[in-house]
Amino acid sequence: MLEADGIGRDYRVDGQVLTAIDSLTFQVAEGELVCIVGPSGCGKTTLLRMCAGLLTPTRGRAAVDGRTVDGPPADTAVVFQEYGRSLFPWMRVGANVDLPLRRLGLTRAERRERVAEALALVDLAGRERAWPWQLSGGQQQRVAIARAVAFRPRLLLMDEPFAAVDAQTRAELEDLIRDLWQRLGVTVVFITHDIDESVYLGQRVLVLSSSPTRMRAEIHIDLGEERDQLGTRSSPEFAKLRGAVWKEIQAAKRKPDE
Amino acid sequence: MRLLRGALLLLGLPTVLFGLWWIASADSTSFYFPPLQKILAEFAETWTAERWRADVLPSLARLGAGYAASCVLGITLGLLIGRTRWLLHLTEPVLEFARAVPPPVLVPVIMLVAGIGDTMKTAVIVSGCIWPILLNTIAGVRSADAVQLDTAAAFGLGRTRTLTSVVLPAASPRIVTGMRQSLAIGLILMVISEMFAAQSGLGFAIVQFQRSYAIPAMWSGILLLGCLGVALAALFNLFDRAVLHWYHRMRERSA
Amino acid sequence: MSHKTNRDPAGPRPGDADTPHPSPAGPTAPRPGDPRARLHPRRPRPRLRPTPGRTPPLPVPLVLGAAGVALALAAGQLLPHTPLVNPAYTPTTGAVLNALAADLARGEFWQALADTLTAWALGLAIAVAAGAALGILIGSLPPVRAAANSTIEFLRPIPSVALVPLAVLLFGTRLPSTLLLVVYAAFWQVLVQVLAGVRDIDPVAADTARSLRLNPWQRLRHLAWPTALPYLMTGVRLAATVALVLAITAELVIGSPGLGHEIAVAQSSGATERMYALILVAGGLGVLVNLGVRAVERGALRWHPSVRSEAPA
Repeated sequence: MLEADGIGRDYRVDGQVLTAIDSLTFQVAEGELVCIVGPSGCGKTTLLRMCAGLLTPTRGRAAVDGRTVDGPPADTAVVFQEYGRSLFPWMRVGANVDLPLRRLGLTRAERRERVAEALALVDLAGRERAWPWQLSGGQQQRVAIARAVAFRPRLLLMDEPFAAVDAQTRAELEDLIRDLWQRLGVTVVFITHDIDESVYLGQRVLVLSSSPTRMRAEIHIDLGEERDQLGTRSSPEFAKLRGAVWKEIQAAKRKPDE
Repeated sequence: MRLLRGALLLLGLPTVLFGLWWIASADSTSFYFPPLQKILAEFAETWTAERWRADVLPSLARLGAGYAASCVLGITLGLLIGRTRWLLHLTEPVLEFARAVPPPVLVPVIMLVAGIGDTMKTAVIVSGCIWPILLNTIAGVRSADAVQLDTAAAFGLGRTRTLTSVVLPAASPRIVTGMRQSLAIGLILMVISEMFAAQSGLGFAIVQFQRSYAIPAMWSGILLLGCLGVALAALFNLFDRAVLHWYHRMRERSA
Repeated sequence: MSHKTNRDPAGPRPGDADTPHPSPAGPTAPRPGDPRARLHPRRPRPRLRPTPGRTPPLPVPLVLGAAGVALALAAGQLLPHTPLVNPAYTPTTGAVLNALAADLARGEFWQALADTLTAWALGLAIAVAAGAALGILIGSLPPVRAAANSTIEFLRPIPSVALVPLAVLLFGTRLPSTLLLVVYAAFWQVLVQVLAGVRDIDPVAADTARSLRLNPWQRLRHLAWPTALPYLMTGVRLAATVALVLAITAELVIGSPGLGHEIAVAQSSGATERMYALILVAGGLGVLVNLGVRAVERGALRWHPSVRSEAPA
């Protein structure tokens, strides 16, 4: 579904070239939930923006469904970390969720139905008339997720979406993502700096090195399909996997040119 | 009780000041500062329906036309220049210079080119009103939130829809600020354009009174001008509340 | 979440070759060279690995800007030769610059310039002093502020040109005429900003001041003044521009000595090139005043830790 082939990105700052991402190669199969973690500053967001077609790679390519990404790919939705700045404050919640649907050639009734459906999926049924800034942080991020879901994407890219949210809300939202993923069968690429979160959510965890960034490790999470915050997180398998990811990250921080 | 308190706050000081002016000038024999009573009496005599039709309304019509043209031109050009980086860099020094020229100074120039009719007066208004709108639109477009723009791009919204649904609303607070400044400037230019070679208009009338030493009439004209300014500002506030209600409520929340 | 600042949150995307346009947010924005201005606030900076042998990129905005000015001057030179523009009404750039050079050599020009600048500076000083004093006074006493609100909102929109006939009657065509208009217009800019500044006092700081039992003078010095200062500087910047415009306008309309009067004279005597030259000078003066006041503003606020935005006009 999503393929990165030697993708890399340089920036030019003050006349010097700095390499954010050296070269990354990985595949994400259709219907998978893959988490990407790495030390601070390793270019996770840059990677996501290249996959979302918001940034052109300096080297290599990303491909969605076999087609090289050179602009926002069709059937792809993005959820950003800064929900407060991603939702449009001049539109009500319903209009925000509806906006990306306008170019899909649906009738107004169909759009309204999708919006209602999406909001119900994120536990915000009936809140179409609310303004985004009237909602709490967690609710706003739910609206952003609803907006992505209403779009019925085949690929969902999420850039540290729960980093700006408090811990309790984060737990609820994590479960929401897993639930939506299982129900809708969408491919999810989830970027996070939170190691526990990556292990809890993902079927695979890709660990990035620090800058200049390369793939450091790939860890398969075999915690099963049914996971819950209490049981899964206190299981010995979880601890083992978490430890494995942790070790990779620590090693990545110590050896910058690995 | 609250209503009474509100009314008291609103009208209290103005009434006191008005009363002071009345009393202080009641026995005035000064030529230049006649009693307020006299000015108010002159008001009804001077500003007859005839004069409204011949002077005041045409002036306001020209102001309306010039202001509307400035808004349309300013916002359209501002959107274009703000979104196109190279165009912005190209035009910026010239625009900064042009806006620094005091608008009234261009009146003689415009008079040369456009004569002394309605076209000239409207052109004068546009020449001054366009700058705050244009420059504020550019600034508003430039400061559109990057995450909002990313969201629009990520969902493939397209140039037109991004412009109308994202960039324009995001810039609207600044645009409205510019429109407010332009309104004040427009009123000034409306009067100035008529103080030069003109045969009619509100500014013309006031200058006529001053030249023919009809002092109470002159003062009544100044009062009328003041009232017009206040009325336009109040109307604009209604517009502001309507267009930016989301913005004001959002700021109230986080205040 | 405070929405007080309107710092440009975007900054340029890394990968843009050119430096960003300085944010119009005034004293608040990070300076263009500041690396903190470049990346998104939450994204940590990737580690630097310089590639040797690269030359610094060309400052594109500067080049384009200069090209824009050159284009405008060229158009001004060429258009009057076309049937589009009548050279009698719109002389060529060359002719205008010639007239400007001729004017610079004459004493009257410099006298007029001095007259305008005197009226501007004097009027600005009076307006700032009165506006700041009244602003702090009214702003610090909530009941007075509430009562004065309607009066201020009523007087503020009155166009200063309404006072032209009065000025002429009272002071004729001398400096005080100009001053009347300049002070009236500039005063409101300062007052409104200072009022907003005083209202912006951090409630926690106010509570601290009260619990420390500071007397009114101390509260003014340590609480009201530092909070209002950035707003005051914004007010001074706006007032400076308005004061210049009104000074030249007053001279134009009333005939008091100064650049504006020279422009009127040039127009009525048919010296079109000179008129344009003086208009250019007026514009240049405006740009200089704007730059100068911004420099003063930056200097005065260099020590100020917090960041303020303009109160809505």
